[in-house]
Amino acid sequence: MKVKEIYLDYAATTPVDPEVIEVMTQCLGPSGDSANPSSSHAAGRRAKARIDIARGQIAERICAPAENIWFTSGATESDNLALFGVMQANKQRGRHMITSTLEHKAVLDAAKILESQGVDVTFVRHNADGVINPHDLAASIRDDTVLVSIMHVNNETGVLQDIEALGECCRERGVLFHVDAAQSTGKVPLSVSDYPVDLVSLTAHKTYGPMGVGAIYIRQGVKISPIIHGGEQEGGYRPGTLATHQIAGFGKAFALADPDREAPLLKSRRDQLWEGLRKIECASLNGHATQRSPHVLNVTFHGIEGESLRAALSDIAVSAGSACNSNIADPSHVLRAMGLSDALAASSLRFSVGRYTSESDIDYVLGRVEQEVSRLKELANGAPDWTTS
Amino acid sequence: MDYPSQIERRFLSPNRKKDFKNNALGVVSGEASDRTLNVWVRLQIQVIDSVIQTVHFNVYGCPHTVAVVDWAAEWLEGQSAKALVALDMLKRRNELGVPVDRLGKLLLIEDAAAVCKMQLDQLNMQGKS
Repeated sequence: MKVKEIYLDYAATTPVDPEVIEVMTQCLGPSGDSANPSSSHAAGRRAKARIDIARGQIAERICAPAENIWFTSGATESDNLALFGVMQANKQRGRHMITSTLEHKAVLDAAKILESQGVDVTFVRHNADGVINPHDLAASIRDDTVLVSIMHVNNETGVLQDIEALGECCRERGVLFHVDAAQSTGKVPLSVSDYPVDLVSLTAHKTYGPMGVGAIYIRQGVKISPIIHGGEQEGGYRPGTLATHQIAGFGKAFALADPDREAPLLKSRRDQLWEGLRKIECASLNGHATQRSPHVLNVTFHGIEGESLRAALSDIAVSAGSACNSNIADPSHVLRAMGLSDALAASSLRFSVGRYTSESDIDYVLGRVEQEVSRLKELANGAPDWTTS
Repeated sequence: MDYPSQIERRFLSPNRKKDFKNNALGVVSGEASDRTLNVWVRLQIQVIDSVIQTVHFNVYGCPHTVAVVDWAAEWLEGQSAKALVALDMLKRRNELGVPVDRLGKLLLIEDAAAVCKMQLDQLNMQGKS
């Protein structure tokens, strides 16, 4: 009987920090700040004060003015608002947008629907390490390009895009630049006052906050139409009663998520993991070796059947790719886009470390992975090599 | 994905994954594979006096495939060689708790067993078994 269970799926979601839980519970129950924050009575004003504090905490994390942060249900909604809202509100400027095949489904599926509505979508090229070259982005921009949407840290590989350089390309050409930063906050610095970024998608639950709440940063002056209608909350960009407890937790989570403090620890755990995994003969790293977030590793185990490896490691919470895709039998679209064959993509695991990952957790995981890879290799002795593209 | 207990047990601890020693008597081997299904199966079977004595296997595939190969190896042992063509995966799928979308993978086990039977028949015709 296995006695341990190790969580290495922080890129899928993070546990809620106890300090965040404390703030959230202060907004619940009869004696909490649980009134509707849009109400004008004292209880409503207390709830609104909670919202204002959170808005400020989130704004501070990305060096943005608080009045440019708008709450949503999560990064998926923020991505949809950015793509549909910008393309709708800027129809007169053009009907072309650019993204990449490495993006989250929230962007890819939205782009697909926009295509069906007559928007021309270009997928900018990237190299085999999953990095987008600013020159390639510049070459894709046209006179009628309205929007570029590129994620900051890839949720499956951890590869970090050079947002500053990509943003400069857009700014120089008068094109709006949207960044999905769901995976990067708290791990990699992101400053909208330093970077030429116009819209940023954020979420709480990848940064030790609650699920079901996110935000979008919209630079002052960017034209965007709402995609949900029914009220004046959030400047009309996102109507609906604000969830005080979730937003308060979101704010606290972002206040705690300091990359300067957290990134060295994450990097240390990630490097410890990779130093061990790389000794396994059949293991290879996916994505750029150094241009990456400190918390994600994506590793292919050549010659090991992916589902069997995941099942054998059932005591370790890892993912086959995006958590949003893990119940789908198809291999990761990101790894496929980076040139891996179906078999190789299916033989890959995403390990993501977090605030609560200990050195001994990594030691345990390394022992278990070595044990199961060795067992499955022996079991498949003599199998044909299907790992080539 | 959750697996039935029998599948999980056999996948985590399959019993018959060894190889026979070179020149072992009465040993035949059969392979089957399908790249699109991401499955490869090799059965090695020792038949003495028309009775399957020992079955060893190697397999590359999902947990269901590994577990069912292990079950098939156990089921074959002690039976007459005719059992090699009586592995009915369509019939066995339910009792083993394998989803229908995995049936194609299981049919490869039948194919590998059928190759073993053909080899065995050839050996018999040559009078070597």
